[in-house]
Amino acid sequence: MGTTRRGRRWLVPVTTVAVVAGVGAFGPVVADASPDLPGITAQDLLAKVQTAKVDGLSGTVRSAADLGLPALPGMEGSQFPDLLSGEHTARVAFAGPDKARVSVLDNMAERVLTTDGKTAWAYDSSEREAVKYVLPARSTKPAQPRPEKDAYDPQAVAKQFLDAIDPTTKVEVTGTERVAGRDAYKLRLVPRTDKTTVGSVTLSIDSKTWVPLDVTVMPRTGDDPAIQVGFSSVSFDVPAASTFAFTPPQGVKVTEETVPAFKPHSVTPPKSVTPKTTPQTPRSGSADDRPDVVGQGWESVVVLHNADLTPGTNGPLDQLLANARTVQGAWGSGKILTSKMVSALITDDDRILIGLVTPDTLVAAAPKAPR
Amino acid sequence: MSAEVMEVGGGSSPSTAVARGRHGTALFWSELHLVFGRARTWVLLGVLAVVPVIVGVAIRLSGSEGDAQGFLGQVAGNGFFLIVASLALSLPFFLPTAVTVISGESLAGEASLGTLRNLLTAPAGRSRLLAAKMVALAVFCLAATLTVWLAGLIAGFVLFPVGDVVLLSGSTVSLADGLVRALGIAVLIAASLIGLAAIGLFVSSLTSTPLAAMAATFSAFIVSGILGAIPQIDVIHPWLLMYGWTSFADLLRDPPYWDEIVRNLLMQGAYLAVFYAAAWARLTSRDING
Repeated sequence: MGTTRRGRRWLVPVTTVAVVAGVGAFGPVVADASPDLPGITAQDLLAKVQTAKVDGLSGTVRSAADLGLPALPGMEGSQFPDLLSGEHTARVAFAGPDKARVSVLDNMAERVLTTDGKTAWAYDSSEREAVKYVLPARSTKPAQPRPEKDAYDPQAVAKQFLDAIDPTTKVEVTGTERVAGRDAYKLRLVPRTDKTTVGSVTLSIDSKTWVPLDVTVMPRTGDDPAIQVGFSSVSFDVPAASTFAFTPPQGVKVTEETVPAFKPHSVTPPKSVTPKTTPQTPRSGSADDRPDVVGQGWESVVVLHNADLTPGTNGPLDQLLANARTVQGAWGSGKILTSKMVSALITDDDRILIGLVTPDTLVAAAPKAPR
Repeated sequence: MSAEVMEVGGGSSPSTAVARGRHGTALFWSELHLVFGRARTWVLLGVLAVVPVIVGVAIRLSGSEGDAQGFLGQVAGNGFFLIVASLALSLPFFLPTAVTVISGESLAGEASLGTLRNLLTAPAGRSRLLAAKMVALAVFCLAATLTVWLAGLIAGFVLFPVGDVVLLSGSTVSLADGLVRALGIAVLIAASLIGLAAIGLFVSSLTSTPLAAMAATFSAFIVSGILGAIPQIDVIHPWLLMYGWTSFADLLRDPPYWDEIVRNLLMQGAYLAVFYAAAWARLTSRDING
């Protein structure tokens, strides 16, 4: 056995590395080649999306968010809406007008939120706790026990961006792609204003049901998506009614709440990461605590009141605020916190202004914000 | 080291006889004999069997339901979860250590004793020898996780009440269903260790000092763990050896969530392919004297 021939044997492992890396890196790209679909105008596609209606669907949703928010210890968990940080996988099922089930697949744990229209259950496998919400008779909009329900529904996320479409938005069809094994059109929304931090929003829209399968939000600067929510698998069969039922297992602590309560945390960013935020947060709080929305479309700013940010009580947040830039105006003064996507203005009179806008837009909105 | 020399060198089969008998399945069986004939292997398996017992006794003695989250917190209410909790607890350290020791030993051990010299000249062929070594390592991985499974089963049933199993999704299945799922978890964890075993086999082919091979393999494992803990390089995280190790828990969902499990198995397969090929290149191009 000559030396050359021996050396050549090492080509086998080297080739193996190349093959593995190649399959791993480019396999998904090849598999997701753009499908051939008949052309469609942006207006037609938009109209179809807005009237799209399915009786039910189920599937697996993956979400990834990188809003550039500072990682503050103690702000993760339930106080911090899931969608705003990290990568998550959830199993979702929707049916009829008011049935929904979202199971967030955590590492060696699972959080289940399910509602059949009359009652809602929230179950946390790591805490072994279940909360039963008795929902009010259909007087208001079907109550949402937690905002996560919408956060893991690409359709709901997409709708909030579609609602923001107005003359300040450029809408275009940018091609086709395969999402969750289905042929989809790509619809891109680009804000015409430079006051927002949103660079573009791309929706992948199923070519048969016209349901958005994937939403990708790109920041104005940078190449990495700020938010991506999409199906990795989806079925448009209506899930069985039993899907939405929940029987608390034995040994699990069950608490019951009649009013769907979601206590807003003082430093929690707006629940939906949308330009035009519907104030869906607190239904139980007094009128004073209700957030207001200032501005329109992409420039909307959410105003939270009576934020209790007394120094010395918020741990790491104090440090952040201490280093924050101070701004002043006729309206008073406050501190500006910025990240890649989200800006927040915390005023000295305990208001918090938050939006997917530039800091200057926040300052401009401050005088208009109700106290 | 001296115990090791006695164990193998003093065994019933002198090296020449070993070399002659190693054809095909005979080669494989003799590898199994080699691995499971060592006192060291049984000590490792013994340590693994003690894990569920210690965990179970500790929980039993503390007496309360406790505030422990996850699988550990459920042990007191249902002994079944001692199996899952023990497997989960052994995964980050005990199981990799055991695999490191056995795989680092596999070729380097024979080289240090001089038996590899005979094997390399034997008609069975070096490729077949390597295959037999790898299969024996895989069998050891399975033996290790099944040991934990069995010890957890026994300790769990002795120390705690057992009953229907509450899955992560909140639904309840029968105990038999749960035990099958736990067995599946043991098999999945054994498969998760294959990548590390392949690394160990490769490192072991490079040296004739078993201890060096073990140390190097364990270092690779530690480095992989450290890389996985640095958030700034999260682009490479999905490619790390341990990235999918916790996917075994997806078997306890209703229905089981296969995506991450399959991904982990493919990942382990990729590590196996790369390092097995490297070990093959090394072994087949190596001088007889190593």
